[in-house]
Amino acid sequence: MTTIPESLKAPLTELLLSTADDKFLLGHRNADWTGLGPILEEDIAFSSIAQDEIAHAEVLYQFIHTQLGGAKPDDLAYGREPREYRCAALVELGDEFDWSRAIVRQFFCDHFDAVRLGRLAASSWPTLAVLAGRLLAEERAHVQHADTWIVRLGRGTPESHDRMQRAIDALWPDTGSLFEAVWGEGLLEPSGVYPRGDERMSVTWHRSIAERAGEAGLTVPASVPKQKQPGGRAGQHTPQFEELLAELCEVYRVEPKAAW
Amino acid sequence: MMMSSASVTQHNSMSRVRENILEPIDPGRLAAESDLTAYEVFIQLKRSDPHVHAGSLDAPDDEIALQFAREHYARDQQCVHIWVVPRSAIISTDYDKDLVWRHTDQSYRLAKGYAGVLKKWQQFRKKKDIDEYQKSDLKEGF
Repeated sequence: MTTIPESLKAPLTELLLSTADDKFLLGHRNADWTGLGPILEEDIAFSSIAQDEIAHAEVLYQFIHTQLGGAKPDDLAYGREPREYRCAALVELGDEFDWSRAIVRQFFCDHFDAVRLGRLAASSWPTLAVLAGRLLAEERAHVQHADTWIVRLGRGTPESHDRMQRAIDALWPDTGSLFEAVWGEGLLEPSGVYPRGDERMSVTWHRSIAERAGEAGLTVPASVPKQKQPGGRAGQHTPQFEELLAELCEVYRVEPKAAW
Repeated sequence: MMMSSASVTQHNSMSRVRENILEPIDPGRLAAESDLTAYEVFIQLKRSDPHVHAGSLDAPDDEIALQFAREHYARDQQCVHIWVVPRSAIISTDYDKDLVWRHTDQSYRLAKGYAGVLKKWQQFRKKKDIDEYQKSDLKEGF
């Protein structure tokens, strides 16, 4: 198809907003580590990857604006009400300035993004598929980076192993938030705009997470937890979210119409 | 972050995470420098280009060194290929003991002797009889 039917624009907007919002919030959170990373080069790498996440979010907001009739990227990124954001609880939480939490969250989110972008890259709408394919190629580098640390810290010293296992245990309950269905995503499946894979996303995700964790000598529970519904995908966010959003939008809110 | 203007309530604009780091770090728990290996990084901007030295970095092992190199050196400009080489693999000369550039004048080896040739050709071409010579030469050859 060369363009999508009008009726699919709203559901696709919701889906791409959830993708973009996850990345935007994650990139913002991870940018807090700039200057504070465990070793110099990892500080640089982690900051660089945070910039990638924000770039991906921008590309997606831009797509929503030019292809789906959405508002301008800046207004989408900074100008919505809290309940209009579609990010999952997992990306809203702080990491308590604990590196093990930051890298485990990256591990969970990058693997999930790879699965989600994989579906979008197989879209029957070529314009979307091409874009998602490009993002997926970069996402794979993120996955590689997170995997590298999971394995090395998991198999490092008893202290690094314990910290990693505690981080996994602390963050696991919120992993379910990634898989909450976005409104209308089912409508995108028959036409192949958001084609179903051979199995549920949570199954694919869990398998790759468990495999890598096993390699690292770490354990993950046998199944993805159920998240309270409605959650982030429906605009119901954690108590931290409004404060986080206020910090993120502080400069924009001083003068929303400013030209940068 | 931008400082708030006078008409807005003053508050700390910096991200709150930085408030948590006032505690001094015990130097004994920092990563020992011997845990990290020094690597030299070379990047190739286009596939047909030679690899160019971009800088160096410290990393725990080869795989991470490559990832660090990508995130550090391959982001400021378009780049298609990266080499990382442990500094220990590099065999080099010694500044004091080894002679690299020779003492004797061997400038005949250099190509600079041909720098004035273009100017000479331009001067010759200005002269009319050279043009006539070239015309007859072309007639004979072709």
